[in-house]
Amino acid sequence: MPDLRTEEFVVNMGPHHPSTHGVCRLILTMDGEKVLKIVPVVGYLHRSLEKICENRTYPQCIPILDRFEYVTAMSCNYVFSLAAERLAEIEVPERAEYLRVIMLELNRIASHLIFYGVTAMDIGALTPFLYGLREREMIMDLFEMTCGQRLTFNYIRIGGVAKDIPAEFIPYCRKTVSVIREKLNDYEGLLNENPIWLVRNKNIGVLPPDVGIAYGVSGPSLRASGVDYDLRRDDPYSIYDRFDWKVATRSNGDCYDRYLVRLDEIKQSVRIIEQALDGLPEGPVKAKVSPNFKPPEGETYARVENSRGELGVYIQSDGTKKPYRVKTRGGSFNQLQVLPVIGTGGLIADLVAIFASLDIILPEVDR
Amino acid sequence: MIWPVAFAELRPIFDWLYDMVSSTGLPEPWLSVVIYTGLGAMMFGVLAVLALYLVWWERKISAHIQQRFGPMRHGWHGWYQTIMDAIKLLQKEHVDVATRDKFVFFWAPVMCFVAAFLAYVTIPFGEGLIVADLNIGVLYIMAVTTFTIISLLMAGWGSNNKYALLGGMRSAAQVVSYEVPMVASILVVVVFAGSLSMVDIVRAQDGMFYNWFIFRLPFGPIAFLTYIVAATAEANRTPFDIPEAEQELVAGFNIEYSGMKFAMFFLAEFVNMFTVSAIAVTLFLGGWNGVFLPSWFWFLLKTFAVVLLLMLFRWTYPRLRVDQLMEFAWKFLVPLTFANLILGAWMKYAGWYW
Amino acid sequence: MDIVKDIKNLLAGMGITGKHLGRHAITIQYPEEKWTMPERSRGIVVLLSDKKTGELNCTGCELCMRACPTGAIMVHAPRDEKKKRHLKAFTIDFSLCCFCGLCEDACNFCALKMAPMYEFSTDDKESLTWDMKTLQEIGRDVDYVDTRKKKKPVKKTEAAKPAGKPADKSADKPPDKSAEPALPEAKPATEDEPTTDQPSGNETKEGEQ
Repeated sequence: MPDLRTEEFVVNMGPHHPSTHGVCRLILTMDGEKVLKIVPVVGYLHRSLEKICENRTYPQCIPILDRFEYVTAMSCNYVFSLAAERLAEIEVPERAEYLRVIMLELNRIASHLIFYGVTAMDIGALTPFLYGLREREMIMDLFEMTCGQRLTFNYIRIGGVAKDIPAEFIPYCRKTVSVIREKLNDYEGLLNENPIWLVRNKNIGVLPPDVGIAYGVSGPSLRASGVDYDLRRDDPYSIYDRFDWKVATRSNGDCYDRYLVRLDEIKQSVRIIEQALDGLPEGPVKAKVSPNFKPPEGETYARVENSRGELGVYIQSDGTKKPYRVKTRGGSFNQLQVLPVIGTGGLIADLVAIFASLDIILPEVDR
Repeated sequence: MIWPVAFAELRPIFDWLYDMVSSTGLPEPWLSVVIYTGLGAMMFGVLAVLALYLVWWERKISAHIQQRFGPMRHGWHGWYQTIMDAIKLLQKEHVDVATRDKFVFFWAPVMCFVAAFLAYVTIPFGEGLIVADLNIGVLYIMAVTTFTIISLLMAGWGSNNKYALLGGMRSAAQVVSYEVPMVASILVVVVFAGSLSMVDIVRAQDGMFYNWFIFRLPFGPIAFLTYIVAATAEANRTPFDIPEAEQELVAGFNIEYSGMKFAMFFLAEFVNMFTVSAIAVTLFLGGWNGVFLPSWFWFLLKTFAVVLLLMLFRWTYPRLRVDQLMEFAWKFLVPLTFANLILGAWMKYAGWYW
Repeated sequence: MDIVKDIKNLLAGMGITGKHLGRHAITIQYPEEKWTMPERSRGIVVLLSDKKTGELNCTGCELCMRACPTGAIMVHAPRDEKKKRHLKAFTIDFSLCCFCGLCEDACNFCALKMAPMYEFSTDDKESLTWDMKTLQEIGRDVDYVDTRKKKKPVKKTEAAKPAGKPADKSADKPPDKSAEPALPEAKPATEDEPTTDQPSGNETKEGEQ
């Protein structure tokens, strides 16, 4: 029998592929099922948000940046407002700070619920997706009754928040939070101990902490590797220091730990929200900010802990109504960078699991 | 005119059919051809509708698991939704890839479809409701259901698409691996029943439910479970649906198929699911045996219960990886089922059973 | 026993899905059943009319046009020789609109509102540009809180204006005169913005086109 001739072949995974979470293209060199080389190609969702922002006034930038990371648009609202407030040195009212924290944490839960569903779906379990979105829907209802939109909020503005919460918000929010806490049992029961889930995720795509730091990975993906680093605590912004919560970390850095860290973060966010609801003061929700917001000349960088890592905005102001330069930083970009490092050598099914567990979304990569 | 051996309950229908056809005055060899073709078409029609209803059922079950409605538009709870879907798919254009292997590409869905239906020749739907009671019924079914791999391989190869090729290769590896534990767990039943004929196997389980092989065999539940697991893999369903894993291979072997060709793969999958459930019922759950109600009713009831189990599997569990799947088959299922078989055979020989 | 634990966990998963099998659906059948949108829900932008007179509240100050980040709003309100604005056209291109609500916030006259209506999809991009009449007609059903109570005289002038517009200048004068005490109230707001905002608004428009 003659020697079997085998050769590597190249597969284009994406831009249209069910598990690339958008329009990411990965050029895979494969040997059968084994992935030998991964080359991510980005830019299919590029909307030139940064350049658009240069042509908009500061308040107008916020709805534009809603589209930057639309799964957690509140963070985008917030980080831009934070940068602008730092430039103009605006004091934000107490109640607005509380509302911001509630909204940010609700949005973090919503994002992690999407992660839960999508990761499960990428690994083949279709039902958790619907369960995750079911609870997320309650959060979206909360957002809609507060600011009128479900996805692109434009709620957190420079100097505070756009509107005060309606009367029915607090009871519904408490209900939502308790429902999520209760449903977490279902989520964990479905996947956490499931032997198939364990073999698919444990020791898959191990991200060593030093590699993670070298590639600029941040957020839950880095905390799963044992790096205890959370901007909410380490670069304090807003009023997170007033609440009793813990930074969720795990030590192995595999897909399973990245999944668990996010479930833990949901629990911590629930705690923060409950404390914030208890301590919500009365008062105005927006500082006096001129409609023609003109920060003084200067530059600043604000960063917040998003559900996908460090979300940052750099603003350079030339003293006019429009920012001279806006630069955004999203966690997904760095996580996509690290994908070839930890995904090479595995099977294509592992690659899908790793991609899902890093929680990469493409609008944040391509801006 | 030779009648199908054991079609006792449907005899009046056949007589009427025979009268109808023979009144036209056809000479004998042609008469048989016409009648058998008619019977085949009937069987085919019933199973095709059954498959469509399984699709509808799966959609409803999954919807209710996920707290959705599922199809609701056509009729009561969308009862003819899948029929409309089939009509739509029939009308759709076939999109052919320019670089396909024309012959292989065309015949793969046909083969898949036919292979899925062949097994029904020896499945006893009720007392006297069997097309042909072959004395090697189990062997025949094992042989015929394996045809499906060839069609999947053909589809994977003929599409000239890398994803499809990967899917076809995966399915070949998977079905071949899971054939072994499946046969080994079936053989325990054969050893105890002392026959390969499906009817004889059912007759060996006559009586109340404690006579079913799942309870009577020394390790009946284990044999049943291993069979169900292997059968899920045979039917390419989650958690073993790696050939068409849509999150990895987009759609696997059927990625390039559209319209009715795709529908043939799709329906064949559901027919296969019904086949493996029917075999499970025949071999382990007493087949048509039951009290009060007609035998076919019991058979269908049990089969749909097993189908429901498979559907619950699909909508609960994640998918295994391809190498883990192989490992599970060869390192766990094969030893287990063979141990079970040897133990069962020994106990049969020693007479330690009732 | 690993296997026993695994089987137990697998069955627990099945238990959870099985438990949900008997529950009611949480979704609704959309066209037959509809969600009641929250009051603040940001759907289409409508032009509000005065509750008593039925005339548009809009003064044509163009604040919303300048606030719009996408340039979806187009206001045409030329000033006459008395520097008074006359609203001639008000169109919103909903294919550009990003439903951010900045126009609603910018408006000082309760002239426009984002109504909780979302069913306006068409198969034709052109028909997404809605003119003043359409927006006004839709806006008539929309309830709103009139926040410009102090400026009651303004309402009168607005009511008088369109009535006077088609008529000759000479006939136009008496109502204008009667309205004059109200004008200073309205003017500061309208004049405040143009001086600072005008360039930005124009640039945005040009940039979009």
